[in-house]
Amino acid sequence: MFLRVDLTCAKREELLKLLRRFRPTFDIIGVKCTNHRLALVAARDRRVDLIFFDSATRHVWFDDAIANVSNATLELNLSTVFEMANHLILTKLMKDVRIARRHNVDMVLSSGATSPLLVRTPIQLAAIAEILGLSKQQAINGVSTIPSHLLNANVERRSRNYVEEGVKTIVG
Amino acid sequence: MSRRYVRIKICSPTTVTEEQFAQALTVSIVKYFGEVGLSRIAPKLIRFDSRKSSVVLAFAKDHVVEMQTALAFIRQVGESEALVLPMRTSGTIKGLGVS
Repeated sequence: MFLRVDLTCAKREELLKLLRRFRPTFDIIGVKCTNHRLALVAARDRRVDLIFFDSATRHVWFDDAIANVSNATLELNLSTVFEMANHLILTKLMKDVRIARRHNVDMVLSSGATSPLLVRTPIQLAAIAEILGLSKQQAINGVSTIPSHLLNANVERRSRNYVEEGVKTIVG
Repeated sequence: MSRRYVRIKICSPTTVTEEQFAQALTVSIVKYFGEVGLSRIAPKLIRFDSRKSSVVLAFAKDHVVEMQTALAFIRQVGESEALVLPMRTSGTIKGLGVS
Protein backbone atom coordinates (compact mmCIF):
# COMPACT_ATOMS: atom_id res chain seq x y z
CA MET A 1 0.00 0.00 0.00
CA PHE A 2 1.22 3.46 -0.84
CA LEU A 3 0.39 6.69 0.90
CA ARG A 4 -0.33 9.90 -0.90
CA VAL A 5 -1.10 13.35 0.41
CA ASP A 6 -2.36 16.36 -1.51
CA LEU A 7 -1.31 19.70 -0.11
CA THR A 8 -3.38 22.81 -0.63
CA CYS A 9 -2.22 26.13 0.71
CA ALA A 10 -1.85 29.72 -0.39
CA LYS A 11 1.58 30.78 0.85
CA ARG A 12 5.11 29.61 0.14
CA GLU A 13 6.07 29.40 3.85
CA GLU A 14 3.02 27.31 4.57
CA LEU A 15 3.87 24.90 1.74
CA LEU A 16 7.49 24.52 2.88
CA LYS A 17 6.33 23.84 6.42
CA LEU A 18 3.88 21.18 5.20
CA LEU A 19 6.56 19.59 3.01
CA ARG A 20 8.96 19.36 5.96
CA ARG A 21 6.22 17.72 7.98
CA PHE A 22 4.82 15.26 5.44
CA ARG A 23 7.73 14.29 3.17
CA PRO A 24 9.14 11.61 5.49
CA THR A 25 5.72 10.00 5.99
CA PHE A 26 4.16 9.82 2.53
CA ASP A 27 5.21 8.08 -0.66
CA ILE A 28 3.67 10.61 -2.98
CA ILE A 29 3.20 14.31 -2.34
CA GLY A 30 0.94 16.26 -4.65
CA VAL A 31 0.46 20.01 -4.53
CA LYS A 32 -2.67 21.70 -5.74
CA CYS A 33 -1.50 24.96 -7.26
CA THR A 34 -3.83 27.70 -6.09
CA ASN A 35 -1.73 30.64 -7.29
CA HIS A 36 1.15 31.24 -9.65
CA ARG A 37 3.80 31.91 -7.00
CA LEU A 38 2.92 28.74 -5.15
CA ALA A 39 2.96 26.79 -8.42
CA LEU A 40 6.50 28.03 -9.09
CA VAL A 41 7.68 27.04 -5.61
CA ALA A 42 6.01 23.62 -5.83
CA ALA A 43 7.36 22.94 -9.31
CA ARG A 44 10.90 23.86 -8.26
CA ASP A 45 10.95 21.95 -4.96
CA ARG A 46 12.38 18.46 -5.34
CA ARG A 47 10.30 17.13 -2.46
CA VAL A 48 7.14 17.63 -4.51
CA ASP A 49 6.26 14.70 -6.75
CA LEU A 50 3.14 15.95 -8.48
CA ILE A 51 1.65 19.33 -9.19
CA PHE A 52 -1.89 19.72 -10.41
CA PHE A 53 -4.33 22.48 -11.25
CA ASP A 54 -8.03 22.72 -10.77
CA SER A 55 -9.33 22.88 -14.34
CA ALA A 56 -12.82 24.02 -13.40
CA THR A 57 -12.31 26.98 -11.10
CA ARG A 58 -8.70 27.82 -11.52
CA HIS A 59 -7.28 31.32 -11.80
CA VAL A 60 -3.82 29.90 -12.32
CA TRP A 61 -2.67 27.60 -15.05
CA PHE A 62 0.39 25.71 -16.15
CA ASP A 63 2.59 28.02 -18.18
CA ASP A 64 6.09 28.21 -19.65
CA ALA A 65 7.54 29.80 -16.49
CA ILE A 66 6.38 26.89 -14.35
CA ALA A 67 7.33 24.30 -16.95
CA ASN A 68 10.84 25.80 -17.21
CA VAL A 69 11.68 25.27 -13.55
CA SER A 70 9.64 22.12 -13.01
CA ASN A 71 11.21 19.16 -11.25
CA ALA A 72 7.79 17.77 -10.48
CA THR A 73 5.49 15.72 -12.66
CA LEU A 74 2.33 17.36 -13.95
CA GLU A 75 -0.78 15.46 -13.00
CA LEU A 76 -3.71 15.72 -15.38
CA ASN A 77 -6.72 15.22 -13.23
CA LEU A 78 -9.53 14.17 -15.53
CA SER A 79 -12.35 14.18 -13.00
CA THR A 80 -13.42 17.68 -14.02
CA VAL A 81 -13.61 16.51 -17.61
CA PHE A 82 -15.98 13.71 -16.62
CA GLU A 83 -18.05 15.90 -14.36
CA MET A 84 -18.54 18.92 -16.58
CA ALA A 85 -16.81 18.44 -19.86
CA ASN A 86 -17.01 21.57 -21.93
CA HIS A 87 -14.82 23.09 -24.57
CA LEU A 88 -13.20 25.54 -22.10
CA ILE A 89 -11.90 22.80 -19.81
CA LEU A 90 -10.76 20.69 -22.74
CA THR A 91 -8.98 23.71 -24.25
CA LYS A 92 -7.17 24.42 -20.97
CA LEU A 93 -6.08 20.82 -20.64
CA MET A 94 -4.89 20.77 -24.26
CA LYS A 95 -2.85 23.91 -23.56
CA ASP A 96 -1.31 22.30 -20.46
CA VAL A 97 -0.37 19.25 -22.51
CA ARG A 98 1.14 21.40 -25.28
CA ILE A 99 3.32 23.35 -22.82
CA ALA A 100 4.38 20.21 -20.92
CA ARG A 101 5.38 18.50 -24.17
CA ARG A 102 7.34 21.57 -25.28
CA HIS A 103 9.36 21.52 -22.04
CA ASN A 104 9.60 17.73 -21.70
CA VAL A 105 7.71 17.74 -18.41
CA ASP A 106 6.50 14.29 -17.42
CA MET A 107 2.74 13.86 -17.12
CA VAL A 108 0.67 11.35 -15.20
CA LEU A 109 -3.02 10.81 -15.71
CA SER A 110 -5.52 10.24 -12.98
CA SER A 111 -9.26 9.88 -12.90
CA GLY A 112 -9.43 11.88 -9.66
CA ALA A 113 -12.45 9.81 -8.82
CA THR A 114 -14.49 10.78 -5.78
CA SER A 115 -17.05 8.01 -6.34
CA PRO A 116 -16.84 4.49 -7.83
CA LEU A 117 -18.84 5.61 -10.87
CA LEU A 118 -16.14 8.13 -11.79
CA VAL A 119 -13.38 5.53 -11.97
CA ARG A 120 -12.02 4.93 -15.46
CA THR A 121 -9.69 2.23 -16.76
CA PRO A 122 -6.07 3.15 -17.57
CA ILE A 123 -6.77 2.49 -21.25
CA GLN A 124 -9.64 4.99 -21.18
CA LEU A 125 -7.46 7.59 -19.45
CA ALA A 126 -4.73 7.04 -22.03
CA ALA A 127 -7.27 7.42 -24.84
CA ILE A 128 -8.48 10.74 -23.43
CA ALA A 129 -4.87 11.89 -23.07
CA GLU A 130 -4.27 11.07 -26.73
CA ILE A 131 -7.28 13.15 -27.66
CA LEU A 132 -5.84 15.99 -25.55
CA GLY A 133 -2.60 15.92 -27.53
CA LEU A 134 -0.22 13.40 -26.01
CA SER A 135 1.46 10.87 -28.25
CA LYS A 136 0.32 7.28 -27.88
CA GLN A 137 3.51 6.30 -26.05
CA GLN A 138 3.36 9.29 -23.70
CA ALA A 139 -0.26 8.52 -22.90
CA ILE A 140 0.52 4.91 -22.09
CA ASN A 141 3.55 5.96 -20.02
CA GLY A 142 1.37 8.42 -18.13
CA VAL A 143 -0.69 5.59 -16.68
CA SER A 144 2.07 3.00 -16.37
CA THR A 145 5.81 3.62 -16.23
CA ILE A 146 5.89 7.22 -14.98
CA PRO A 147 3.68 6.65 -11.90
CA SER A 148 5.43 3.36 -11.21
CA HIS A 149 8.91 4.97 -11.39
CA LEU A 150 7.71 7.76 -9.14
CA LEU A 151 6.46 5.29 -6.55
CA ASN A 152 9.53 3.07 -6.70
CA ALA A 153 11.89 6.03 -6.35
CA ASN A 154 10.01 7.33 -3.32
CA VAL A 155 9.71 3.94 -1.67
CA GLU A 156 13.47 3.57 -2.08
CA ARG A 157 14.00 7.06 -0.71
CA ARG A 158 12.03 6.16 2.39
CA SER A 159 13.91 2.91 2.97
CA ARG A 160 16.52 2.59 5.72
CA ASN A 161 19.38 1.99 3.28
CA TYR A 162 18.88 5.26 1.45
CA VAL A 163 21.59 7.85 2.05
CA GLU A 164 21.05 10.32 -0.76
CA GLU A 165 20.25 10.24 -4.46
CA GLY A 166 22.41 7.55 -6.04
CA VAL A 167 23.90 6.48 -2.70
CA LYS A 168 22.60 3.67 -0.53
CA THR A 169 23.95 1.34 2.13
CA ILE A 170 24.46 -2.16 0.76
CA VAL A 171 25.84 -3.91 3.86
CA GLY A 172 24.46 -2.69 7.15
CA MET B 1 -14.39 -1.41 -43.90
CA SER B 2 -12.09 -3.08 -41.42
CA ARG B 3 -13.60 -3.28 -37.95
CA ARG B 4 -12.61 -3.72 -34.31
CA TYR B 5 -14.76 -5.21 -31.60
CA VAL B 6 -14.98 -4.22 -27.97
CA ARG B 7 -16.60 -6.06 -25.08
CA ILE B 8 -18.10 -3.69 -22.55
CA LYS B 9 -19.40 -4.09 -19.03
CA ILE B 10 -22.04 -1.64 -17.83
CA CYS B 11 -22.17 -0.96 -14.11
CA SER B 12 -25.44 0.66 -13.17
CA PRO B 13 -27.78 0.42 -10.18
CA THR B 14 -30.71 -0.17 -12.55
CA THR B 15 -31.21 -2.48 -15.52
CA VAL B 16 -30.08 -0.91 -18.76
CA THR B 17 -31.90 -1.55 -22.01
CA GLU B 18 -30.34 -1.81 -25.45
CA GLU B 19 -32.03 1.40 -26.63
CA GLN B 20 -30.86 3.35 -23.60
CA PHE B 21 -27.25 2.28 -24.10
CA ALA B 22 -27.34 2.98 -27.85
CA GLN B 23 -28.77 6.42 -27.13
CA ALA B 24 -26.11 7.20 -24.49
CA LEU B 25 -23.30 6.09 -26.80
CA THR B 26 -24.59 8.10 -29.75
CA VAL B 27 -25.01 11.23 -27.62
CA SER B 28 -21.48 10.87 -26.23
CA ILE B 29 -19.89 10.42 -29.67
CA VAL B 30 -21.86 13.28 -31.20
CA LYS B 31 -21.05 15.59 -28.27
CA TYR B 32 -17.28 15.09 -28.47
CA PHE B 33 -16.65 14.14 -32.09
CA GLY B 34 -19.67 15.43 -33.97
CA GLU B 35 -21.86 13.87 -36.61
CA VAL B 36 -18.86 13.37 -38.90
CA GLY B 37 -17.06 11.58 -36.08
CA LEU B 38 -20.08 9.37 -35.54
CA SER B 39 -20.16 8.33 -39.17
CA ARG B 40 -16.40 7.72 -39.16
CA ILE B 41 -16.42 5.68 -35.96
CA ALA B 42 -19.52 3.85 -37.23
CA PRO B 43 -20.43 2.05 -34.01
CA LYS B 44 -22.69 -0.97 -34.32
CA LEU B 45 -24.23 -2.94 -31.51
CA ILE B 46 -23.50 -6.61 -32.09
CA ARG B 47 -24.68 -8.19 -28.84
CA PHE B 48 -26.49 -6.91 -25.82
CA ASP B 49 -26.97 -9.02 -22.72
CA SER B 50 -28.99 -7.06 -20.18
CA ARG B 51 -28.79 -9.89 -17.65
CA LYS B 52 -24.98 -9.79 -17.57
CA SER B 53 -24.82 -6.07 -18.47
CA SER B 54 -22.45 -7.08 -21.22
CA VAL B 55 -22.27 -5.47 -24.66
CA VAL B 56 -20.29 -6.20 -27.79
CA LEU B 57 -19.75 -3.26 -30.13
CA ALA B 58 -18.16 -3.07 -33.56
CA PHE B 59 -16.54 0.11 -34.83
CA ALA B 60 -14.10 1.33 -37.47
CA LYS B 61 -10.58 0.03 -36.92
CA ASP B 62 -8.85 3.42 -37.12
CA HIS B 63 -10.93 4.99 -34.36
CA VAL B 64 -10.09 2.95 -31.26
CA VAL B 65 -9.00 6.03 -29.31
CA GLU B 66 -12.17 7.97 -30.14
CA MET B 67 -14.31 5.00 -29.20
CA GLN B 68 -12.54 4.51 -25.86
CA THR B 69 -12.87 8.22 -25.13
CA ALA B 70 -16.56 8.29 -25.99
CA LEU B 71 -17.15 5.31 -23.70
CA ALA B 72 -15.20 7.01 -20.91
CA PHE B 73 -17.38 10.11 -21.19
CA ILE B 74 -20.65 8.23 -20.71
CA ARG B 75 -21.88 9.04 -17.21
CA GLN B 76 -25.56 8.33 -17.54
CA VAL B 77 -27.49 5.58 -19.27
CA GLY B 78 -31.23 6.03 -19.23
CA GLU B 79 -32.25 7.71 -16.02
CA SER B 80 -29.46 6.46 -13.80
CA GLU B 81 -25.73 7.03 -13.46
CA ALA B 82 -23.60 4.35 -15.05
CA LEU B 83 -20.01 3.29 -15.49
CA VAL B 84 -19.06 1.86 -18.88
CA LEU B 85 -15.93 -0.27 -18.76
CA PRO B 86 -14.30 -1.62 -21.90
CA MET B 87 -13.09 -5.09 -20.92
CA ARG B 88 -11.36 -6.20 -24.09
CA THR B 89 -10.78 -4.97 -27.63
CA SER B 90 -10.08 -7.35 -30.47
CA GLY B 91 -10.10 -7.70 -34.24
CA THR B 92 -12.54 -10.63 -34.05
CA ILE B 93 -15.61 -11.39 -31.99
CA LYS B 94 -14.03 -14.72 -31.06
CA GLY B 95 -11.05 -12.84 -29.64
CA LEU B 96 -13.30 -11.10 -27.14
CA GLY B 97 -13.93 -14.42 -25.44
CA VAL B 98 -17.72 -14.11 -25.44
CA SER B 99 -19.71 -17.30 -25.39
